[in-house]
Amino acid sequence: MAVLAPPDSPTRAASRQSAQARAVKAMRRNDRRGWFLSLPSILVLLALAGVPTVYVILGAFSADGVDAFDTIVHDPGFSQMMVNTGIWVVIALVGALVVGYLAAIALNHKGVRLTGMWRALLLIPWITPHVAAATAWKWMFGTEYGTLNGLLLQLHIIHEPISWLTNTTLVLPALALVQVWSTFPFVMMMVTSGLQSIPDEVYEAAQLDGARPFDTLRFIILPALRDVTFILVLIVTVWALNSFVPVWVITRGGPAGASTILPIKLYQEFQNGSASSVSVIALFQLLVSMTLAWFYVQRTQKGDR
Amino acid sequence: MTAVAAPATAAPTVRAARRSPRRYVSLVLAYAFLILLALLSILPLIVMLTSSLKPQTEIFAIPAKLFASHPTFQNYVTVFTSSDMPRALLNSLLVGLLATVFTLILGCTTGYALSRFRFRGSRQLAVSLLLGQLLPATVLLLPIYKLINALGMLDTIPGLALATLVFVLPVVTWMLSTTFAGVPIELEEAAMIDGSTRLMAVIRVVLPVALPGIASVAIFAFLQSWNEFLFASVMTSSIASKTAPVALTDFANEFTVDWGATMAAATVISVPITIAFLFVQRFFVRGMAAGAVKG
Repeated sequence: MAVLAPPDSPTRAASRQSAQARAVKAMRRNDRRGWFLSLPSILVLLALAGVPTVYVILGAFSADGVDAFDTIVHDPGFSQMMVNTGIWVVIALVGALVVGYLAAIALNHKGVRLTGMWRALLLIPWITPHVAAATAWKWMFGTEYGTLNGLLLQLHIIHEPISWLTNTTLVLPALALVQVWSTFPFVMMMVTSGLQSIPDEVYEAAQLDGARPFDTLRFIILPALRDVTFILVLIVTVWALNSFVPVWVITRGGPAGASTILPIKLYQEFQNGSASSVSVIALFQLLVSMTLAWFYVQRTQKGDR
Repeated sequence: MTAVAAPATAAPTVRAARRSPRRYVSLVLAYAFLILLALLSILPLIVMLTSSLKPQTEIFAIPAKLFASHPTFQNYVTVFTSSDMPRALLNSLLVGLLATVFTLILGCTTGYALSRFRFRGSRQLAVSLLLGQLLPATVLLLPIYKLINALGMLDTIPGLALATLVFVLPVVTWMLSTTFAGVPIELEEAAMIDGSTRLMAVIRVVLPVALPGIASVAIFAFLQSWNEFLFASVMTSSIASKTAPVALTDFANEFTVDWGATMAAATVISVPITIAFLFVQRFFVRGMAAGAVKG
């Protein structure tokens, strides 16, 4: 699900203004009140996230879990599912980063007017309810009556309708484009706020030195946005790895497992009522996501001590 | 459309463009990309809207046309008179409001505590809020389902709202703590010097200053709940608690999909909330950028 912009840690944001930092320190001496105020949230999070995580880990390592692991790994569809998941994550990640970066750079162009309007339009995919958007995409991908084939045929780009959702090689990239469509606005927003922190003088100096647009991107923009990019890679990867709605609403993992990725498999096992299989897949997702999340925490908390 | 007309009028007035042809080319490229991407961004909404106005015979026309030649509201009549959608919309609204109120109460107290006090475990709490933002919802699906079942709250509106907290609370708390950290502590001290208690200082001084931030966080929390599908699809089985996204997939699950009604239902779910968002987006994006990573 959509995670929002990872903000600075509270302590770091405060320490920016030194006068305020001193005042904060003074006010902070009162320990117990902070703990008291946080207790309700801590309890809710323990009940809803802590205990369930432990439950999943115990379930995966129980005797049933080990059996389920065996079954899943020796399932004929297993290797295909893992390959699908890999392809899915790569397309979703690269696509969202490239489109999001280009959109932010285009928006940041000095000559572009009405930036507020453009930004609002480009944020729409991020805000459209996922199930409704996926339903519309399902219709648009239709072979005979779908909007995409209709458009492409009328523009004479293609001469035969493309079977986006029934062709086993096309279906996964097509669905990954829906994931790109819904996540690029987040990348765009984060990159935009990063770009605004580069002073204009830097661009002007580069222009005086005869830098071409590509040089500006390579030697000014990308280095300045290194941390933002790093965090975006982690977040967008975790989102892709756990994305459920587009695939489930549009193809349910079909045809013949061609678009089955890890979260879809987990949901299918849930519907089959095989709790131990659910726990095994969940454990795998947990390990990968939390490893990436750990890098994210490290980077966000850097220099905070 | 204004979107298409903009570059033609704006481009020649740009100072930079006159200066060098290369800049002019890059400006044209920037506009071309923005126009293409903006069209792709709104295409699903446009398709939803136009298909929902088509009579049955026009939906399955070859070649597919974007606009209806004989627009009709029949599909909306179907959605509002002979489907679960009206009740599902109400359920979604209730779940969203409940989840938003819960998260704001919990998030404001904890967010304030994190921004103002250093206490035992505050650092660990901050780290777990970050980790919690990337905790996959699918991982928690089974255990939370069992938990809500054990509480006897399956297929109820409060049950779903409670489950929703798990992925809304961490990010909301984090955003709120940044919001409070941005409120100068001197305001609070001044109020306390004037003799008010800390609680009154927070209520009278801090909350009003933080209100824009709190409002955008509330909108965000509501949107998250409104869009949520995974938990709702397994925890709400009957019309008593079924939410709008789940009701929408019901249309498509029948053997003969009524695409006109499906698109009308999708429009009802998306268009009002998207328009509402467009009105607040400027201020919403500002609130988010304030908390965004600055590298």
